[in-house]
Amino acid sequence: MVRRPETEPSILHVDMDSFYASVEVLHDPSLAGRPVIVGAAGYRGVVASCTYEARVFGIHSAMPSAEARRLCPEAVFVAPHPGRYAAYSRRLHAVLGDYTPLVEGIGLDEAFLDVAGARRLFGPASEIAVAIRRSIADELELECAVGVGTSKLVAKLASRQAKPRVTAGRLEPGPGVFVVEAGEELAFLHQHPVGALWGVGPATEQRLRRLGVVTVGDLAAVPRTTLVAALGTSLGAHLHELSWGRDRRGVEPDREAKSVGHEQTYPIDLAEGAELRREAVRLADAVAARLRLGGLAGRTVTVKVRFSDFVTITRSQTLPGPIDTALEVATVARSLLDDVDPTPGVRLLGISVSMLSAGAARQLSLDDALEGGGTGGARWSPAWDEAWRAVDELRRRFGQTIVRQGVDRDERPLPDP
Amino acid sequence: MRFRSERDSLVEALSVAGRAVTGRGGALPVLSGVRLEVAGEQLHAAGSDLDLSIQATVAVAGSGDGVVVVPARLVTDIVRSLPPGAVNVEAGDDEVGITSGRSHFSVRMLAAAEFPRVPAAAGDTALADAVTLDAAELADALRQVVRAASSDDARPILTGVLMAAEERGLRLVATDSYRLAVRDLPGTSVLREGQNVLVPSKALSELQRLLSGAEKVTLRLGEHDASFEVGDVRLTTRLIVGDFPNYRQLIPSSYPNRLVVGKAQLLEAVRRVKLLVRDATTPVRMALGPDTLGLTVVSAEVGQASEEVDARYEGAEMTVAFNPGYLIEGAEAISGDEIVLDTQDALRPAVIRGTDGDDYLYLLMPVRVS
Repeated sequence: MVRRPETEPSILHVDMDSFYASVEVLHDPSLAGRPVIVGAAGYRGVVASCTYEARVFGIHSAMPSAEARRLCPEAVFVAPHPGRYAAYSRRLHAVLGDYTPLVEGIGLDEAFLDVAGARRLFGPASEIAVAIRRSIADELELECAVGVGTSKLVAKLASRQAKPRVTAGRLEPGPGVFVVEAGEELAFLHQHPVGALWGVGPATEQRLRRLGVVTVGDLAAVPRTTLVAALGTSLGAHLHELSWGRDRRGVEPDREAKSVGHEQTYPIDLAEGAELRREAVRLADAVAARLRLGGLAGRTVTVKVRFSDFVTITRSQTLPGPIDTALEVATVARSLLDDVDPTPGVRLLGISVSMLSAGAARQLSLDDALEGGGTGGARWSPAWDEAWRAVDELRRRFGQTIVRQGVDRDERPLPDP
Repeated sequence: MRFRSERDSLVEALSVAGRAVTGRGGALPVLSGVRLEVAGEQLHAAGSDLDLSIQATVAVAGSGDGVVVVPARLVTDIVRSLPPGAVNVEAGDDEVGITSGRSHFSVRMLAAAEFPRVPAAAGDTALADAVTLDAAELADALRQVVRAASSDDARPILTGVLMAAEERGLRLVATDSYRLAVRDLPGTSVLREGQNVLVPSKALSELQRLLSGAEKVTLRLGEHDASFEVGDVRLTTRLIVGDFPNYRQLIPSSYPNRLVVGKAQLLEAVRRVKLLVRDATTPVRMALGPDTLGLTVVSAEVGQASEEVDARYEGAEMTVAFNPGYLIEGAEAISGDEIVLDTQDALRPAVIRGTDGDDYLYLLMPVRVS
């Protein structure tokens, strides 16, 4: 049961459009619609980022600032504000994290996502890509391109196809989302110039040109041994593999994404244990749903409580085996909350699960096999798997609120705000 | 109290008794000690953790009966470090003197009155009639069963090994709720028919050590205690009170799928692919198909390993995953050269047994992989 052969694309590459420049425009709306260049304006500066309005003039990133100014004297130069970009990047990751925990950030403005698990909840990868673009536009007021493919290589090239482009001095909007279906990778890949592949810089490109190789398709036609002879064992073999679409690198979630969590700030402080416990049930459900999305399960449950005076405490418990259901997460969270006195007023409650294992593996217990299941309600049994699968499916079709986690009668959840 | 002993026999008695000593003694400091009692020409050395007591008896040249309790580890280390030959031990008012040649130690005693009661001799016991068993046979059975007992005190019952009187003889059963080991000793009767007791696995692990090289073991079962005598050593353990899970209903009566594989080949292969395992939850996946067994370990952050092993298989092609450690322990417990693995499906218990005889079975719950 190793990952099945890809019959559907599941890797997304999200690439923000003119990220730094767009953030600056948001910060100073008077810049909207003007050619904006982020970068030092001085003699030795280079363009770090520029708006599409600037690109129409032939300006691109890494170009010397002096040349950019020559091409477009009316361009507005803005000094970079790394803090602003980092803040937007965090917000970007928060949006992406709502779709899957399997997010690998590249720099501040790009990320790979593996949505193989999320497809069950949100539908095919192409729909997820559209939804992500819309969420980013709604929540960050920024545009992006999303490429969808069966590998990182294809997804990355696909996102480039989704971008707006400048042709003959005119800006043409891109499709925003570009999907390369399974089986179409090679046709897609082979039309690209070799320079599009990772590992092909100008020098390699020159050497390949001497072999008559211009496109990735040309490259694929060159026997592996010839490539190895021309470029060396490592690079030659690597490019040969890439030219045939063989890119096995998986999406490596960022280091920080070693936990899956959910937290909520309350407009009115919670002051009763019963309130805390019922909120814990709701948060646990959200956390567990996201764990299952990513095909993950975790062994450590942490609750975070911020009191009205902003004093924040965390309590955690590590279990013998990984869990991924709301019932199990809530049971642990509630027992941790039993030791927290809410009377000073709780303004924020959070639950997270860490010590994650990919591809939830659970040691089954003989208690599961015994008639009548195990002790108490917090145990897994084969029937729960089916139940949660059904819940995930219902939510995908009818929305998150169609099924809710039940609680004891005196701890009924609050209606949605 | 005063005696003289050969260093080696004294070290032996102290270390054997010391196996029951828990270390620091916790709430009861006297439990970090070993109790030395001289009666005539015999020394009884005893250690206890309240649940388990081990008493070793050794012949000494006694010249004054009496009882002392001395720090177990310290005194054992002292005696072991002495030059070979005779060691003199003599109790003073609150110190014990240990002398050999030109070495002399004085060690403060612990309060002997606080030491738990230790049955002194075979006659002095409320235990039932003695039954004598073949030491090697019992050792073999314990080797196969004790491994499946739990070490988690949260479920005390599972830390015990069930000894039950069955029609055919004595049966030993242990489970930690992930696997279950059952061993029959046909023709051995220790208990009254239908009777069963729950013996702490910790005591039986200690018994296993004592049994190596011994010929006979004498077993006495009481209402609250069990005692095992091996040569000059007696191990007494409190029994666990409670109902052992109804394990019989877990053992399926038939299995649709049967794999037969060489024990050595399987163990070697599983140990190899297990190198990739980095946490307690990574399973080994067994792909069961005609004539081959495929083993795979996929470790998210490390890589993956796979290996094929020749095997005979009858049944539906399927993949089932197990904790590699549990699988290894089950396979190791089998006596013959070949192993039978009977499976139902990927979520229900599998059974490991040998190809000859049905005295032993090891039931194992799979790991569910998604």
